[in-house]
Amino acid sequence: MCSAAIMRRTYKKKRMMRRMSLFPHRSTLGNLELTRDEIQQEVENDTHELVSELVNLPTRARIQAIRALPMTFHERRYVRGRVMSVKHSKKTDMLPMCCTDCHQQTSLFFRRFSASVATARKRLVIWQDALKEIGGRFGTSVLSYFRFLKWLLMFNIISLLINFCFIAIPQIIHSPNITHTVNFRGLELLTGAGYFNQTVFFYGGYNGEVIVSQPPYNMQLAYFFTIAAYLVLCGVSLIYSMARSFQKNFVLVSGPTYGGAWRLLSSWDFSMVNEKAIQNLKNNLGIQLKETLSERLQRKATVSTSTFVKRLSLYLLAWTLCVGLAVASCTAIYFLQSHQSKLVLPVPWSSDDLGTEASTLILPVVVSLINLIVPLIFSLVNKMEHYTNPRTNIYIGIMRNVLLKISILGILCYYWLKDVPSTIPCWESFVGQSVYRLVLVDFIFCLLGSFFGEFLRNIIGTKCIPSLGVPEFDIATNVLNLIYAQTLAWIGIYFSPLLPIIQVIKLFIIFYLKKVSLSMNCQPPKHTGRAAQMQTVYLALLFFTSFIGALSLVAYTVWSLKPSEQCGPFQGLDTPFQAIHQWMNAVHYIPGSEWAWWFFEHVLRNELFFYLITLIVLILTYFLWQITQGRKQLIRTLREQIVNEGKDKTFLLNRLQSIQKQRRAAAAFGPQEFSERTYFNQNWMNTLPLEM
Amino acid sequence: MGTAATKLQKDQLSEYQELTFLTKQEILLAHKRFNELLDRNERQQLSSRVPMNKICTLPELKSNPFRKRICHVFSTSELKDGSLSFEDFLDLLSAFSDSATLEIKSHYAFRIFDFDDDGTLDSGDLEKLVNCLTGESADTRLSPEEMIQLISNILEESDIDKDGTVNLSEFQHVISRSPDFVSSFKIVL
Repeated sequence: MCSAAIMRRTYKKKRMMRRMSLFPHRSTLGNLELTRDEIQQEVENDTHELVSELVNLPTRARIQAIRALPMTFHERRYVRGRVMSVKHSKKTDMLPMCCTDCHQQTSLFFRRFSASVATARKRLVIWQDALKEIGGRFGTSVLSYFRFLKWLLMFNIISLLINFCFIAIPQIIHSPNITHTVNFRGLELLTGAGYFNQTVFFYGGYNGEVIVSQPPYNMQLAYFFTIAAYLVLCGVSLIYSMARSFQKNFVLVSGPTYGGAWRLLSSWDFSMVNEKAIQNLKNNLGIQLKETLSERLQRKATVSTSTFVKRLSLYLLAWTLCVGLAVASCTAIYFLQSHQSKLVLPVPWSSDDLGTEASTLILPVVVSLINLIVPLIFSLVNKMEHYTNPRTNIYIGIMRNVLLKISILGILCYYWLKDVPSTIPCWESFVGQSVYRLVLVDFIFCLLGSFFGEFLRNIIGTKCIPSLGVPEFDIATNVLNLIYAQTLAWIGIYFSPLLPIIQVIKLFIIFYLKKVSLSMNCQPPKHTGRAAQMQTVYLALLFFTSFIGALSLVAYTVWSLKPSEQCGPFQGLDTPFQAIHQWMNAVHYIPGSEWAWWFFEHVLRNELFFYLITLIVLILTYFLWQITQGRKQLIRTLREQIVNEGKDKTFLLNRLQSIQKQRRAAAAFGPQEFSERTYFNQNWMNTLPLEM
Repeated sequence: MGTAATKLQKDQLSEYQELTFLTKQEILLAHKRFNELLDRNERQQLSSRVPMNKICTLPELKSNPFRKRICHVFSTSELKDGSLSFEDFLDLLSAFSDSATLEIKSHYAFRIFDFDDDGTLDSGDLEKLVNCLTGESADTRLSPEEMIQLISNILEESDIDKDGTVNLSEFQHVISRSPDFVSSFKIVL
């Protein structure tokens, strides 16, 4: 479809809209001193033009255009009927040709097909009703948390499917009878060790043999490419959704937004249906409006130097405290970990000692405890700081929590990649089990946290200390917990390819748990608004800290670490990436595919190639940035122009009124012909849209 | 229930699908819900209207402070009593549906907020809007000074051509800068 048609169409829609807003009710028409016939003529002309525009559009675009006309159903049907009749009369002019008929039939078929696909997709979406209920009771901001959860669940289901199909199933078929030296005792469900050690759940359960079939299935390559494909898929979809959301929520949101205009004109949540929730929302909106007003007044008041210094030292103190806490917990974790490995190492995994096995759970419990308690201290600190802007408050809270979680994961990864490979025989499986334990204990703590944090807090707040009140649902903390869990899942994907199973089950249960907990124990957060922007921030966090971190970890493992000698698909190689080298060398000898080898050797393994790509990307970025600057300039100019037009309008209005006054004065002396309508509706002029 | 009489014709259904943003399932559900509001003998003809107070008993609209405005905006009744025919009802659901365009949504939002139907949001409309949004209790209701301050803030921000009122395109401009609007301007049966 050509762009000119689209432009014409939107212009057309604008025109129709203007008509609608010009004459919201026919009763005001008299004020314009136009006769009924003239109006009808005008309307008829408009409709005629619209119809002739619509006739020329392709079918699908025409349906969309008619659908998007801001008119009543009857008017749309009328327009459609006229378009159809014009179409038909045109068709009878032409000879009915088999070709056009065929074309019509296929386009009709495709339209029907796409409509039914859309319906099917709507049906497949899980939790449609549950999400509707949540939105109806708690509003869009809480709903965004659940959407985020659902989105993560999709990621994990995809990764589960591809890992299962391309890695686990071939391995199971290839060597189905693993002799289990250890019996299943139940504790393995928590620790992941023992019975699970040699299963396909972990890296150690795979071997790098080429499965003999036609064509042969190379397990090493399968393992490498499946993990790589999943990570690339995650990266691409994250970048895509992040960029989309960024464009929608940040780039377009420019200009003054400090006041309450957006909040007022676009904040009513029409999806809310619960009586109590609506009352709550109203109260919160009232309080928020009052707050913004007082904030604005405060902003005008200048801050004296002494209070400024006081505040600054308070912030400094708070930051030192938080960073200190994060560092302290990292040190504690590192020492605990190295101490524990000394304790556990002499008796490797085959031992039947339950106590040793259970002691491996100490570390994940400590990590989860830190994750539970330290953020609470952070929020206490945050309360003392008194930021004037509630959004700064939220962002600083998020920053501190992220700092804590990154440093904990960082210290764990440092230990796994630095100390573990040299000391433990099947170290990949060991890391996989550690991640497994962390994921599981985190899940248990999430369950307990919902119970104690929300349920007990609710009872205390309503029964014992009424001044505390019902707890608010803290979206930021909950989303950060989800991001943390997902980071673990991404880190573990190389060491434990079936870890997504646990993650899927976990997210599934968390969804229902949070839903129940929300409706029983919590009230929706008081400070809402900008939910979509917060969503972008969460996506950015998920991408930049969590995904990039996990990706670099996996990449480092694959490129530079020596895989363990006794187990795993890459045994006997210097690095896992060598599998690719060997494969390319094999490819080299297949006639007709030398180019692939050449490409690999001279382009992909060449630093200069990546250097050039980086350079090109940088140049492109610079150009795009310049274009945005130019657009900004243009917007500023257009804005000024609009203000000038407005001034012109008021000037003309005043002139018109003064002329009318003169006429009225003249009419008082002359015959009564002007007396019938002299009232002028001032608001009429305002309905003229700004032609931009 | 007389099943044959209350079923939608197939060609009618496809016409509804073509002219609204609703899917087949949504239209059928809307038809079912609409029929529940009608008396038994009114179900036969499609042109029957449901009075406004009955529409407002729908759980999706019951607690909405704008329910009467919504009925008035979507009603095509000659009497201007806010009663809805089935087609008006579909129009309503279509505008509030997931797939409706931002343009349609903001257009109808504007008309819902335009309490005196004069085609612009002036300070009277804005005051009514604020009163609808905030609760009735004394501590959330704005004082007259706060109200004046708030309205002048809004006009300062959104009244681009400085004529003292917010017109449709200015309103759409504000809406386009608040990304939460599309997801919150939604009613699903």
